[in-house]
Amino acid sequence: MRLTAWVASGIVLAGLLFGAGPAIAQSTFVFGNQGEPVDLDPAVITDGISNRITRQIYEGLVKYKGATTEVVPSLAEKWEVNKDGTVWTFTLRKGVKFHDGTAFDAAAVVWNFDRWRQSKHPQHENQVKAGKSFEYYEKQFGGFDDKSIITKVEAVNPSTVRITLKTPQGPFLNNLGMFTFDMASPKAVEKSGLAFGKNPVGTGPFKFVEWKVGQEVILEAFKDYWDKAHAPKVQRVVIRNIRDNSQRLAALKAGEVHGFEGLNPDDVKVVRADPNLQILLRPTNTTGYVAFNFKIKEFQDKRVRQAIAHAINKKGIVDALYGGTGLVATQFQPPSLWGYNKELKDYAYNPEQAKSLLKDAGFGQGLKEITWEDGKKEPLQFWYMPVSRPYYPNPKEIAEAIAADLAKVGITVQLQTTDWAVYLDKRKNGQLPLYMLGWTGDNGDPDNFVCYFFCAPGASTEGFYSNQKLADVLLQAQKLTDLKKRAALYRQAEQMISDDVARIFIANNQPPLPFSKKVKGYVPNPTNSEFYNTVSIEK
Amino acid sequence: MAQYAFKRFCTIIPVLVGISIIVFGFIHLIPGDPAVAMLGERATPERVQEVRIQLGLDQPLYTQYGIYVGKILRGDLGTSILRGDPVLHDLMRRFPATVELALSAILIAVLIGIPAGIVSAVWRNSIFDGCSRLIALTGVSMPIFWLGLMLAWVFGVMLGWLPTGFRLGTSITLTPVTHFNLLDSLITSNGAAFTASLRHLVLPAVALSTIPMAVINRMTRASLLEVLSQDYIRTAEAKGLPQRGVILRHAMRNALLPVMTVTGLQVGRLLSGAILTETIFSWPGIGLWIYEAIQARDYPIVQGATLFIATIFVLVNLLTDCLYAVVDPRIKYD
Repeated sequence: MRLTAWVASGIVLAGLLFGAGPAIAQSTFVFGNQGEPVDLDPAVITDGISNRITRQIYEGLVKYKGATTEVVPSLAEKWEVNKDGTVWTFTLRKGVKFHDGTAFDAAAVVWNFDRWRQSKHPQHENQVKAGKSFEYYEKQFGGFDDKSIITKVEAVNPSTVRITLKTPQGPFLNNLGMFTFDMASPKAVEKSGLAFGKNPVGTGPFKFVEWKVGQEVILEAFKDYWDKAHAPKVQRVVIRNIRDNSQRLAALKAGEVHGFEGLNPDDVKVVRADPNLQILLRPTNTTGYVAFNFKIKEFQDKRVRQAIAHAINKKGIVDALYGGTGLVATQFQPPSLWGYNKELKDYAYNPEQAKSLLKDAGFGQGLKEITWEDGKKEPLQFWYMPVSRPYYPNPKEIAEAIAADLAKVGITVQLQTTDWAVYLDKRKNGQLPLYMLGWTGDNGDPDNFVCYFFCAPGASTEGFYSNQKLADVLLQAQKLTDLKKRAALYRQAEQMISDDVARIFIANNQPPLPFSKKVKGYVPNPTNSEFYNTVSIEK
Repeated sequence: MAQYAFKRFCTIIPVLVGISIIVFGFIHLIPGDPAVAMLGERATPERVQEVRIQLGLDQPLYTQYGIYVGKILRGDLGTSILRGDPVLHDLMRRFPATVELALSAILIAVLIGIPAGIVSAVWRNSIFDGCSRLIALTGVSMPIFWLGLMLAWVFGVMLGWLPTGFRLGTSITLTPVTHFNLLDSLITSNGAAFTASLRHLVLPAVALSTIPMAVINRMTRASLLEVLSQDYIRTAEAKGLPQRGVILRHAMRNALLPVMTVTGLQVGRLLSGAILTETIFSWPGIGLWIYEAIQARDYPIVQGATLFIATIFVLVNLLTDCLYAVVDPRIKYD
């Protein structure tokens, strides 16, 4: 009898435990994020994990359209700029409310700009004292206070804002589309102070409900959202932290999340083979490159650089190591950018030509050793990063493939890596002879790619590459507002970089996002953060 | 006893001072500028310098240590560099998840490990003993991340019986009181949350229990075998006492001492957060938290959490020592 009772209770317990658990509620969209957000105040964050969430809560004056970085109206209905590109006048949308019920108007816009721009603004100063920084404002607009390119922001009337710039800035609108410049409710920021990042209030389609530390952030549809035509299609959004790539996939296959970011390249085929899943590709906004150190005598010879460019089989690398989601890069800008040079003819994979160029340069017997500027000789080391990045999902394997290609033409390299922080340190100090790195764009403007790297000739960060003519072209493009003129200059810049073999651009990646097939309307944006009001879940 | 406990407690202090020096020293020995590590590809020299000043890294090491110890003595474990939250606050929010998981794992380990060890010792060299030793060996040598992933795939994805991770599903709401989910669901009489919490606990607890279970099993077997060969056991058997009574009442009491020692060590180890298990199952405990902090070079968290873990470890060991007297009345502390 006693035994029967034990067995019976065992069965009941097992039934309770192992029975099908509660499924995700129909009107909830669950997304798997790679970790814990840092903060939900868009002005002080720079990371993709946090801004994926803030993009749902806040909106800026302008936004990027769908899967592009084309700037379209958001909280500003329209705008105009004066002839010399220094005065921008924005007409704001009427009837927009923040989630706390306060009105979004010109005063709110002025307040937000003042907070970002003025280091003595109480809601700026308190953040800095607490160790936060308005890093993107500083980077995109030249600094704070007197250093800022934005000199004046005024409310002309409740629905018109005028922004005056010190000098014209080509990427101005693209900058404003970044998540950092989304509008926060002044009343809520003042009320919460430093804790605003945990109690975020914006005008976006979703309203913040709860941040369960270490677990998830919960949002719900905002009933008074101004854009009725694009009101959220789901009632709730849950963004869960799942640190491990394999576990995110397990959670997707088990139906615990609807989709996620950060799929192992090897798992792309697993997802493609599952009839219940789909893969969406994020339009590429990232470029992996191989950089030279120009303090090394051998690399000062253009023929050696050309030989290396001809020796690397980029297509082979992309086909084998990007899980079918990579593209061969021909230049710094990814093809999604409007400054991309379609006419540019890249160095073809041609080991014979590489050998002949090396011979011409005096390395007919091969290249094993390099000479630093002070005459010190050492074996040629090729450095690869120790961590996976969007542009190099498998850095070690890619480095091995490049080393094998170089060996075929007689260039012997020793593969080297170190801790990520040390790697970046060495790169910053110009200590790496030949190395892999890359870039992911912030705002869809070519300036953010090309000028960021080539506008300071001779910088140690960029391997001491010095090309004043290139810098002049880029600085000229930065000051124009006419897109056509700017595009022509960026195309010219890319040609100059290619002609001089300043870098070798290997691949653009289109990060794959796996989703349940029930998910409709998810449009990945190149800038890493998209809006979830378009997402619906099929029954 | 109380005097002994107090004396032992006092010996903890130099241990903790030592640990604080080691923790502080080691993190500064790690190569790479923490400011650069935090800022990544976008680090500008100005920003790096700002962050260095902000972290106090521009001060001499001894000054940094002095400030650090002073704060600890005031109960301030520092503030997270990344999120700006007080470390102690975060620790208290996350520790219940770790405790819940650790206790469940140790419960599974003890409930299976000890009986299996007893059976192995009593019927030594039987088929059961052979199997049990093999399983124990596998348990000790199996990498947890592999086992965790397999459990999640088999029971979560393929069979769909149990969740693949997390503490609760998205459709369940539970009002936090103590942050121990099982306890909170009982306090708030939330049956659905209780079942869901239990279901979420099964896989991580099983994965985490394998090593302690194997260790406890092997220790129980070895220790019981030694006791069973002693004279007083033969005497008890000769008196005609039933075997069950001889083993459970006479032999086990003595055999339990080393088992308690290893169990104590395992509890200490599990309470310090199981980084791999917590990462694989997205369990929001201190293991996952420390892992993230190490990656982000969030010094205050790494330092605070390590000190906390060391304290827990030392306290659990002290408690185990004190428990000896309860199990074995011959032991007296002076």
